[in-house]
Amino acid sequence: MNITIFLHTTLQRHTPNNTVGKLAIDLPSGSTLANLLKRLEIELDVENTLLVVNGRTAELSQPLSDGDQVHLIPAISGGMAVMEA
Amino acid sequence: MVSELSETAGNLQIWRVDVSTQTVIRQPVPESWAILGGRGLIARILLDEVLPTCEPLGEFNKLLFCPGLLVGHMLTSCDRISIGGKSPLTGGVKEANAGGTTGLEMTSLGIKALIIENLPSQAGWWVLHLSSAGGRFIPADELVGLGVYDSANKLRERYGRKAAIALIGPAGEMKLSAAGIQNLDKDGVPSRIAARGGLGAVMGSKGLKAIVFDATGCSKPPIAHPQAFKDAQKRYTKATLEHPQSIVYRDFGTAAIVRMSDSFGALPARNFSSGHFEAVEQISGETMRQTILDRGGEGEPTHACMPGCVIRCSNVYVNADGKPIVAPLEYETIGLMGSNLGIGDLDVIARLNWEANDLGLDSIDTGAALGVAAEARLMAFGDGARALQLLAEVRQGTPLGRILGSGAAMTGKVFGIMRVPVTKGQAMASYEPRAVKGTGVTYATSPQGADHTAGLTIRDKVNHLDPAGQAALSRTKQINMAGYDTLGACIFAGFGFSLVPDVIATLLNARYDWSVGTDILQVLGKEALKLEREFNRRAGFTPAQDRLPEYMTKEQLPPLNPVFDVPAEDLDNVFNW
Repeated sequence: MNITIFLHTTLQRHTPNNTVGKLAIDLPSGSTLANLLKRLEIELDVENTLLVVNGRTAELSQPLSDGDQVHLIPAISGGMAVMEA
Repeated sequence: MVSELSETAGNLQIWRVDVSTQTVIRQPVPESWAILGGRGLIARILLDEVLPTCEPLGEFNKLLFCPGLLVGHMLTSCDRISIGGKSPLTGGVKEANAGGTTGLEMTSLGIKALIIENLPSQAGWWVLHLSSAGGRFIPADELVGLGVYDSANKLRERYGRKAAIALIGPAGEMKLSAAGIQNLDKDGVPSRIAARGGLGAVMGSKGLKAIVFDATGCSKPPIAHPQAFKDAQKRYTKATLEHPQSIVYRDFGTAAIVRMSDSFGALPARNFSSGHFEAVEQISGETMRQTILDRGGEGEPTHACMPGCVIRCSNVYVNADGKPIVAPLEYETIGLMGSNLGIGDLDVIARLNWEANDLGLDSIDTGAALGVAAEARLMAFGDGARALQLLAEVRQGTPLGRILGSGAAMTGKVFGIMRVPVTKGQAMASYEPRAVKGTGVTYATSPQGADHTAGLTIRDKVNHLDPAGQAALSRTKQINMAGYDTLGACIFAGFGFSLVPDVIATLLNARYDWSVGTDILQVLGKEALKLEREFNRRAGFTPAQDRLPEYMTKEQLPPLNPVFDVPAEDLDNVFNW
């Protein structure tokens, strides 16, 4: 399956010239987002990264399909979720 | 005329300015005001002293400057100034905050709240000069009609380079509803704007072109327990530096959000007709950073607006010769004056930003107004030159210019456009509410009107397209943000505070000799919201105003095609906690 990955901001530093924002990758069918992250040789702090597939927030277990667009967005907001009302 | 004033003795006081008699007096802080600052204090003073049904540009409205509770000690990212009053744009409570140096200078002067009252008894423009000697009014004839940048230069020549200055541009002088109040950054550039809700028009109605805060000879307010404060400050600064988000903001600024928003189908394009912009890569934070670095000269991808801030999310954006076009260039402007206008060129957006700054206009409402103008065929989407021409009309004060400078709602009404992205009369920020529904709830229900800093939800790991749970999420965010706005903390201070949440209480207790608990952020936030809602209720607001525009509940937003479908009962329950 052909998957397009968009790397945001500081994640681009793991690529040549620090500026590659878009990668194409070929994965076996049935691969999940977790499989994809393993394939990318990029050190990822999953806890502090927004994983977005075709415009929707995704879990690591999410299965991927041919043509999917994956965005990896480092660092979440100031852990506002910690401050529960 | 210098007024008779009592000794301040190093404590904070209320400074009350009557523009009709041109007198300034200093008063002790009432008990019920002491526990509040910033946004919470503004709401308290409005409820206590301003008739909620008053005319916003009339004699009964008051213009308030209130530093937050933690302001004054160069705590990183915590020296913001809150400015407030009844909004001529929304007709309700308004707090707009800004970085820069105003907060710090005010607290060094010992000011808990600056309350500006009444209307001038004669025509004319004035500079209000505040110092340890008190306050005096100086005629401002030579500044009338001047843009903000020229005005600031003249004011700094006359009053020195260390003073803080809050000022309006031609838009505020014309009392336009999208006019804001500019403040100097730590380098003296007048581009930290308290933008939302037309407070520049209120300042204009008071006959004030500028307020100079000169704290020469003053020192920071005393801290009750200096060692405890210092220890807490160290922990907080360390936490802020270590939070991964700080690095993203340091290197890319808020422009980091451009591609993120677009990835969710939430970047407003062409008058909010789509959540994806085809030229997003040309206007992204990544592109902005690389452009600044490649062009060199005076460009800075990393820049602090407040002294001592370790995040430094601001920037100086330069042209091909390395000369500044505008500083800062921020996400909201890249959205509302870029993708929202079909403009995919950072140089053009930066020029539009500079014009808005110089006019003293809110770039969000102005960008939204131009988007509505484009839908009304006053300009073609993508035509940056025409957008600049339309801003030139604002400067000239032509009828069309005045309409645009009054914001998106007015522009839509005059030109018969239904698709106007506003709530409570205020334009939405650069997050499409149909694609980030939690933020849509905030837009709909915040007492401030469509305000993104009041409760942004885009970074939470939730399904932004699912209407369930969004009201509860917005509630949590609105409470926390109202708390930060009461402390004088930048939205990004939340990174550091989230890692050491007990530090807020520790800092407050050390500063003021209080014994507040670790839930103080939420206590302050809930109080601020409660006071704001009550003011709005008395001003005539009902649940009917806590809704998004009808078309957003019916028309699907490409590319993901959601409509806004959070149920009305959820919206009406946001403030039931």
